[in-house]
Amino acid sequence: MGLFDRVFRGSDEMYAKAEQSVDEIIAKVGPDAPMNMPNTGYFLACNYAYLGRKITKVGELKEALADVRSMMTKEQRTRDVFLSGIGTAIAAEIIEACKYVETETPYEGTLYHGHLTDAEVRELGVPLVTGDIPGFVVIIDEAPSDEEAAALIKGYQSRGIFVFLIGGIIEQAARMKIGMGFPVRVVPVGEDIWAVGHVISLVVRAAMIFGAIQPGDFAGFQDYTFHRIRAFVNAFAPLRDITVACGGGAIAMGFPVITNETENIWRVPKSLIVQPNTQEFIETSLEARDIKIKVTKIDIPVAFSSAFEGEIIRRPDMQIEVDGSRLDCCELVCTKEASEIEDHKIILEGPDFDEFPVGTKISMCYIAEVAGKNMQSDFEPVMERKIHNYFNCIESVYHTGQRDMIRIRVSKSAFEAGFRARHFGEVLYAKLMSDFGAVVDKCQVRICTIPEKNAEYRALANKTYDARDARLASLTDESVDVFYTCILCQSFSPSHVCIVTPERLGLCGAVSWLDAKATNELEPDGPCQIVPKDRPIDEDLGTYEDVDEAVNKYSHGALEHVTLYSIMQDPMTSCGCFECICGIEPMSNGVCIVNREHTGITPMGMSFSELASMTGGGVQTPGFMGHGKHFISSKKFLKAEGGVGRIVWMPAALKETVRTRLDATAKDLYGIDNFTDMIADETVVEGDPEALMNFLTEKNHPVLSMEPLM
Amino acid sequence: MPFKRMPQTFTASIGTVTIGTGEKAVTMGGENVLPLYSFDAPIANRPLIGVEVSDLGVDNTLPELAAFYAGADTVVEQAKRAATMPGADFLAIRLESADPNGANTPVEESVALCKAIADAVDCPLVIEGSKNAEKDSTLLAKVAEALQGKNVLLMSAKEENYKSICAAAVLAYGQKMGAESAVDINLAKQLNVLIDKMGVKGENVAMNVGSAAAGYGFEYVASTMDRVKAAALGQNDNMLQMPIITPVSSEAWSVKEAIVSEEDEPEWGPTEARGVEMEIATAAACLAGGSNAVILKHPKSVATIAAFISAII
Repeated sequence: MGLFDRVFRGSDEMYAKAEQSVDEIIAKVGPDAPMNMPNTGYFLACNYAYLGRKITKVGELKEALADVRSMMTKEQRTRDVFLSGIGTAIAAEIIEACKYVETETPYEGTLYHGHLTDAEVRELGVPLVTGDIPGFVVIIDEAPSDEEAAALIKGYQSRGIFVFLIGGIIEQAARMKIGMGFPVRVVPVGEDIWAVGHVISLVVRAAMIFGAIQPGDFAGFQDYTFHRIRAFVNAFAPLRDITVACGGGAIAMGFPVITNETENIWRVPKSLIVQPNTQEFIETSLEARDIKIKVTKIDIPVAFSSAFEGEIIRRPDMQIEVDGSRLDCCELVCTKEASEIEDHKIILEGPDFDEFPVGTKISMCYIAEVAGKNMQSDFEPVMERKIHNYFNCIESVYHTGQRDMIRIRVSKSAFEAGFRARHFGEVLYAKLMSDFGAVVDKCQVRICTIPEKNAEYRALANKTYDARDARLASLTDESVDVFYTCILCQSFSPSHVCIVTPERLGLCGAVSWLDAKATNELEPDGPCQIVPKDRPIDEDLGTYEDVDEAVNKYSHGALEHVTLYSIMQDPMTSCGCFECICGIEPMSNGVCIVNREHTGITPMGMSFSELASMTGGGVQTPGFMGHGKHFISSKKFLKAEGGVGRIVWMPAALKETVRTRLDATAKDLYGIDNFTDMIADETVVEGDPEALMNFLTEKNHPVLSMEPLM
Repeated sequence: MPFKRMPQTFTASIGTVTIGTGEKAVTMGGENVLPLYSFDAPIANRPLIGVEVSDLGVDNTLPELAAFYAGADTVVEQAKRAATMPGADFLAIRLESADPNGANTPVEESVALCKAIADAVDCPLVIEGSKNAEKDSTLLAKVAEALQGKNVLLMSAKEENYKSICAAAVLAYGQKMGAESAVDINLAKQLNVLIDKMGVKGENVAMNVGSAAAGYGFEYVASTMDRVKAAALGQNDNMLQMPIITPVSSEAWSVKEAIVSEEDEPEWGPTEARGVEMEIATAAACLAGGSNAVILKHPKSVATIAAFISAII
């Protein structure tokens, strides 16, 4: 016999019981007796929701049963199984409702809660909608032992999951003295499987209240419960047919069923999951229903706050030092498959801090292994860069450097408070899960203090760093499918929109294309929105219809056209936080670039701040533009005007920053070696264009043979 | 050349939000012209005026204000008195004392006060929270529950707590909500998008796009409001079409001009008159910028702004 037949048999069983209950109650009070569930405006909610029936008289239960019967079609198709399962839940509600005909409190004096009021639906519904309660579980029947029952319930409680209990597990919980009731979020619903009707009644009322789903809109309820209600079922073996039928209903609503039954059961991926090891129920269930637990506090013995970011630990105060300058150390975030890691597991390999003498310099590697459906390896460096900030927020701990050049000091006071190696893991876990929850579903941290092993970890990490650098270097505007907007600065520069491309990072220098991509993923309605590049107009100018549409939309109509690679035609606007300003120098037909740090005058006769007033504020001034330092050495820099060969003047410090990459670009574009040396700086020319011309002529600067700019 | 009149009407319009119940219910928003441009097309609903009553009681250092509330010794009595103020369309209860950094009045007490006021008056209500996002998320949810059926506007949901206010105030208990952002069109829009994704319809949301007292950086407010209305009407951006409600009194009465005593600055004249002037100037500027409702506290300001609105529309 197959799974479908078990569902159908169970449905029949539930239906028969419902029919019997209804017949009995009609015989007793007559068909015209009122049928009211207490404290609800939704009648018998399952009947109201799925069948559109407002039942107010006992006799109407009979008509509802006819509808239920018609749902139990017994065709060997998934649709029929689902329908039958939901019919089973409606029948269960009818059985329970019969108990409420003669009294409003049929469960008084028992362990059982029974019907849930509308007030309770709202009380549970609000935190479910906001995510403060990450989900709820319905646990059915007896666990293998009382202790396991208690451990399971407490495990869910500690994760903030709301628990409904049905059947034998309630007595187990009572024997283990587990506090039960709505306020403690463990509700013993009822002793028989039909008590499930009360839970489904809650589910459909939540859909009507919070989702405005209309009674009778069967598909609407399916959609709402599947997408919005994060519920699941744990059913203990042995599974009876009637439980399987209820499970069919749960699955139809989108709630996976996890069971330890191994006989006569058929696995259905993501829906009917066999987990023989009941200790694993929680982990398996949360993963099946895509529930992420919110991390609200960091489990460390010292404080954690940005107030400690600037703290410095002097040598005499130091308990232990992780010294990446001499020993093998590294920090790494790497992506794993969900099945490879265990959430919140912190693995310490080697001795802990209390096994080293005071003041020891140790080798330590820590690797945050993350998994998530939306995780991409491009986000690894974005997360990794935050580690510096996270560790510095730990009281009496300081961190400098990145990758395999880190130095961490843990002070004596932190050590005495109980701070140990694994607490770095706790911090990484909590912060990565909360800051990057949109992409990280699971996180495990590996910490190693064994020098030999760390040599291996470091070598491994270096491979990853190299691969990332290669990826960054290979990222060109041509190699990606989309650009991003950044409108973070619009609060003070209302019409400015940055278009961030791999080669042209945000003009502030702080938002690279990868950052923008990560921001878009983490905050889909935030400042970085996707700009497709499907409709190029002129690739030399860097004009796209898509880009024009985006700047028009995000500047609210203030801008119509922007070029990515030209300073003369529709140059990209600037907010005011540009790292550099580039402006044309008419005598040489070249451009001068000045960075914010440079206070002196340029050959254009203006200083950075004077130029800034012409360039900022979201206005397009042909001949002037703001940009990031990184853009200078790009092949796209002034591509429309002939490229980096236009650069005639830069402050010496800026020249040194960009020299290596700029020389390489000039070599590629013009075959010129040491191009940076042809560019004048404040040591040879300040405000005098004549002197500049003399210098350029002497160096045979390529700009002298270029077309006039205007 | 003769003058040719070209009415500037838009096909898009500002959304409407109705608060209160029965005959006294009021509606804000609905216009399809720029703020106060009644010469272009009739304005669907004139801007509304709310009177603010703080749960800390009336400021008795202001003689005229104290005189208006004379004999009303409890907050409930003061609310009843405020509801009679000529020119007022709704009452705004400000639960200032609930702030955890202040008196930290327990949630139950604040809720009981709101309930008592709601039972004592029949005008539409706006409930302003403590401004502490965490406290407001529970406080406003409980107020929403207690005032079921009264159709009140709860202010305000911010980015930190919008979820609970959407879920509790609007979805569970059918109230209206304010969406507060800090003088930035993009933040305002982002919050509206997030609220929309919670399943809350625009007709339940009024925006508080932030404010400042006139002269205290008001140009930011003006530019934000201009851009919000331009995007809402000109670009039919439905995530910016919610009407704007602006609490003016809390800004206007906290700046130097409204606080410094006459003893300290004799040439500035009486403190109260200055505060009233700040309140009127700020409110008028907000209305010109696009506020569909302003919240004031002084009877003189309310009378003046009411006269201003009826004269101009």
